[in-house]
Amino acid sequence: MSKKNQMPTLPPQAKRHLGIKAVNTISNVFIYILLVFITIIWLVPFVCIVLQSFNVEDTCMVGYVIPKDWGLDNYKALFAEGSPFLKWYLNTFIIALCTAVGQTVIQLCMSYTLSRFRFKMRKPLMKFMLILGMFPGMLGMIILYNVLADMGLTQANAVPGLILVNIASAGMGYYVSKGFFDTIPKSLDEAARIDGATRMQILYRVILPLAKPIVIYTVLSAFMGPWGDFVFARYISMNNINGMNVAVGLNSWLTADAIAYKYTQFCAGGVLVALPVTLLFLFLQKYYVEGVTGGAVKG
Amino acid sequence: MKRYSDLEYLKLPKWRRFLYTLLCLIVGIPSGIWNGIKKIGNAFVKFGKRIAFEFKDIYLTFKNGDWKTRTSFFIMGFGSLARGQIMRGLLFLLMEIVFIGYMALAGVKWVSQLPQLGVQGPVKEYDPIFDQYTTAYHDNSFKILLYGVLTIFFAIAVIYTWRINVKQNQIAEKILASGKKLKSGKDDLRSLVDDQFHKTLLSLPLFGIVVFTVMPIIFMILVAFTNYDSINDGYINNLFDWVGWDNWNTMLSWGEGNVRYGATMGEILTWTLIWAFFATFSNYFLGMGVAMVINKKGIKFKKFWRTCLVLTIAIPQFISLLYVSKMFAPNGLINGFLLDMKWIEQPLPFWTNATWARITVIIINIWIGIPHLMLMATGILMNIPADLYESAKVDGAGVWKQYTKITLPYMLFVTGPYLLTSFIGNMNNFNVIYLLTGGGPSNLDAAGVLGAPGETDLLITWLFKMVTTSEPAAYNLASVIGIIVFVVVAAISLIVYNVMPSTRNEEDFQ
Amino acid sequence: MASVKLTNVKKVYDNSVVAVQEFNLDIADKEFIVFVGPSGCGKSTTLRMIAGLEDISGGTVEIDGVVVNDLQPKDRDIAMVFQNYALYPHMTVYDNIAFSLRIKKVPEDEVYQRVLKAAEILGITEYLLRKPRALSGGQRQRVAIGRAMVRDSKVFLMDEPLSNLDAKLRNQMRAEIILLRQKIDTTFIYVTHDQTEAMTLGDRIVIMKDGFIQQVGTPTEVFDMPANLFVAEFIGAPKMNTFKTDLCCEGGKYFVKPYGATIEVTGKKAAMLADKGVRSGEIILGVRPEHFKLTDENDPSAIACKITVNEMMGSELHLHALTENGEKLIVRIPTVSLDDDVRHSMVYGKTIYVTFEGKVMHFFDKETEKNLLV
Repeated sequence: MSKKNQMPTLPPQAKRHLGIKAVNTISNVFIYILLVFITIIWLVPFVCIVLQSFNVEDTCMVGYVIPKDWGLDNYKALFAEGSPFLKWYLNTFIIALCTAVGQTVIQLCMSYTLSRFRFKMRKPLMKFMLILGMFPGMLGMIILYNVLADMGLTQANAVPGLILVNIASAGMGYYVSKGFFDTIPKSLDEAARIDGATRMQILYRVILPLAKPIVIYTVLSAFMGPWGDFVFARYISMNNINGMNVAVGLNSWLTADAIAYKYTQFCAGGVLVALPVTLLFLFLQKYYVEGVTGGAVKG
Repeated sequence: MKRYSDLEYLKLPKWRRFLYTLLCLIVGIPSGIWNGIKKIGNAFVKFGKRIAFEFKDIYLTFKNGDWKTRTSFFIMGFGSLARGQIMRGLLFLLMEIVFIGYMALAGVKWVSQLPQLGVQGPVKEYDPIFDQYTTAYHDNSFKILLYGVLTIFFAIAVIYTWRINVKQNQIAEKILASGKKLKSGKDDLRSLVDDQFHKTLLSLPLFGIVVFTVMPIIFMILVAFTNYDSINDGYINNLFDWVGWDNWNTMLSWGEGNVRYGATMGEILTWTLIWAFFATFSNYFLGMGVAMVINKKGIKFKKFWRTCLVLTIAIPQFISLLYVSKMFAPNGLINGFLLDMKWIEQPLPFWTNATWARITVIIINIWIGIPHLMLMATGILMNIPADLYESAKVDGAGVWKQYTKITLPYMLFVTGPYLLTSFIGNMNNFNVIYLLTGGGPSNLDAAGVLGAPGETDLLITWLFKMVTTSEPAAYNLASVIGIIVFVVVAAISLIVYNVMPSTRNEEDFQ
Repeated sequence: MASVKLTNVKKVYDNSVVAVQEFNLDIADKEFIVFVGPSGCGKSTTLRMIAGLEDISGGTVEIDGVVVNDLQPKDRDIAMVFQNYALYPHMTVYDNIAFSLRIKKVPEDEVYQRVLKAAEILGITEYLLRKPRALSGGQRQRVAIGRAMVRDSKVFLMDEPLSNLDAKLRNQMRAEIILLRQKIDTTFIYVTHDQTEAMTLGDRIVIMKDGFIQQVGTPTEVFDMPANLFVAEFIGAPKMNTFKTDLCCEGGKYFVKPYGATIEVTGKKAAMLADKGVRSGEIILGVRPEHFKLTDENDPSAIACKITVNEMMGSELHLHALTENGEKLIVRIPTVSLDDDVRHSMVYGKTIYVTFEGKVMHFFDKETEKNLLV
């Protein structure tokens, strides 16, 4: 970028030609071109998915984007008798809903405590969780599968199993919301304590009303997570069609033998999955941004 | 190495300052590691001292305590009950009764079987009535290991409770001796929503973590020392047993032909680190760049540009990744388009050539990661005080100087820990690799290795393949990989934390 | 309305930093006491220990004869105003003030009465439905005070309540606190780093440094008879001039000889020196800037110095000057006493001759820095 090129050696005429304004305009034009280019790259795959979901010529992959014949056949097929898509969708929705509630409660408990209380085991606890987080989460999959299988929560009943696992390990992800709680001045707590409030009253009368952005962020990300949850969901459902979520289910349509007649349905399914999540996200984007930035700054 | 004083350092020419700083950093690494080890050692020593102190304290409590206290050593909660703290006493007593009951009924059995992990495997028996073979199942190694570990957990918890019970007596004696009143059950309940509120809040999350995170990790660490796989599954086919360091020998020795575990391990680890490095820093700098471009004064529709990028975060990764993966397939959109345009004659080997595949995943990862980074960087960039830039401009700094002297240092300072977490996150970035390439293209040199890792497989995807697609599913070897991932991650974190100037204090931000 | 008694109070932080020690103080009922000192001297920590926001590492705090060491803040019956106001941002002014009453489950009618009464005293009735964000600094401060006021508590704690306000508003609020005190009539403990606030507000002042009490006394006492050099320099603005000089005792009379001048100690101070039996020797001499006056070079007690800075304050001149051996001196002269042309001649580099009277000196031991007369 050569904007504001104020080299002192330039002769006066040249300076007039390349005044701050002119340079700015030129660089802005370049930036706009760049931005349009970036936007296209980022949005093209999604546009393609949408377009191909309306493609009714063939069910397999084609080497062009704009369908020659348009139609809703793929969508109809998704909801046709015998199609497992609705079941998957419902599974995922239930998981997402329960996870959103449970995970938020657990994470808020954890982060509020670690941000506000100074107890003896606090530092060791945080270090312990840091170390715990260094183990790949996948490691415990085998045993969790076995334990859940013992409880009858795998395969066809994978939904409650997944909810349980999602919620139970939620405490590990306290960092972002702790970062937010840390920014709420401690003197508010102290003032409330002097005013006679118990710690619990402080939590729900002073802190929670102030923590609205982070609560929404936590709910939002907890709700969005299960829609893309693949590893655990796949392992716990163990190829049982009734226990799959959308990610596992739709992925099974892209295996070598299924892709030829399921590809466009995959696109349609993808659109249906992305739609509600995206809308929700657009709606609550402000809070998400606050959460992401706050969390990063706090580390 | 000669150390300069501050003033001497300032006199050095620029390149020597840089060299000096670099040298200091490199020299600092061993001491950083050493400090880390020392810290761990100190922690152990401290822990040992603590235990010794506890024993002494327990002894003293018994020696100096009254009869109520002494009885409590054997009947938990007796002292509390005798002193009128009914609720506490009953809870202690209940704990003891449950523990003794459980140990008698099952606990002792599980723990005693731990050393062998079961003796009697499944037996096929001929059933003369129906003229067929039936299998009689006996011991279950998996359950023995699982419940054995759980029982030990429980026992530790009970010992800890017992210790609290003893301590309670000591405290109660002291309080009574000073003529004050003991807390009633009502007081205890009240304090659980007030000064002890943290215990209430933490109990549920920590219970979840212990059962669903700590316990599995401990179990899997133990599995790394057994021959547990889908053949020796511990119940239906065969029992499994302790094998010592055998799995580690397999994983870490070089190997031959196409069953070279050690070599494969080395290759995959190297690629994992390379991948994490590029994935982290390419996203970081490009994301920052995009954020800065959008942030530039005079650019309009800022919100629109941001929203376009941010939207892609909302769309579940499996959709976008799977779709993009198909776009780059030999018969996918990209190759189709290029062929149509007659720019190429053969489809480009995006997923079929190892080098192509590796570069492609890094590039697609940029596509995935930039919106996140852009979001984060935007927030931080807006926090940089504008007067810093103004003063730099007045001092005559151009755009580039402003970036290198203000923006970049500020960003690096604020996001230092984030970079580390993101590096580690990328090392374990299962989704991107698995959904894009599935680990492929396949690596012939490693074809005989369980899990058959491909050219773009990370340690984590290899682990996944080992427990899902490989025949037999090698849980024991997968555990070894998991532990190795942990060791690498821990080592990197330890070095970074100790070499990084520890200027960041948690409380500084409050 | 209660007395507060601190006995041997000590605060040690986890990282073994000692913040406060040997803190002994009896605060009488309805007294207005001010803790003052530079930052990090432990004054806020002490206040927070009284409030129950910090654990007490040693010693006891009694309120109304009851040891409160182990009581929660809410059980100590205290009210507190914080430096950054600590108003609940999501509540209106009314709700902020009513918060503590509602926690106590006071009937809504009574809450209304009490909040309104406090608001009237503070003149914030018209803002009751605003959120703190929409208030100015001074208004927020009033709300914070109002929140503490409605509680009718035994002790009223204030932690640097004025330091976030600009200078003009600070003066105004200071005056209001004095008025408020007459209306509330309870025990006040006030923490500040500003000696002016301490002097104007306190019945008694506690001056602290590095965790130790340096002196406790009424404003007049600490100004006239500072216990040590630190207090002498801390109280009064601009700060006291100090120089190492000789104190000579000749024939029952005491002389000091700063920079070649010879000045006799007169008045009460001379008598006190004699009473204490102070002998000749090097001491630290302290003279407040306002006790200097201009003189001419023929005066044997004249100290010659060169002006480096002339601060025209309106009613007075603050002259920063350097003596012949390069030591700094600040002289404060009322403008009324100067002719216009003399006033205009006080420019950089001009040599002036100053002196001071024999009865305004302070004497400090050169090793212990303690006041020789205490």
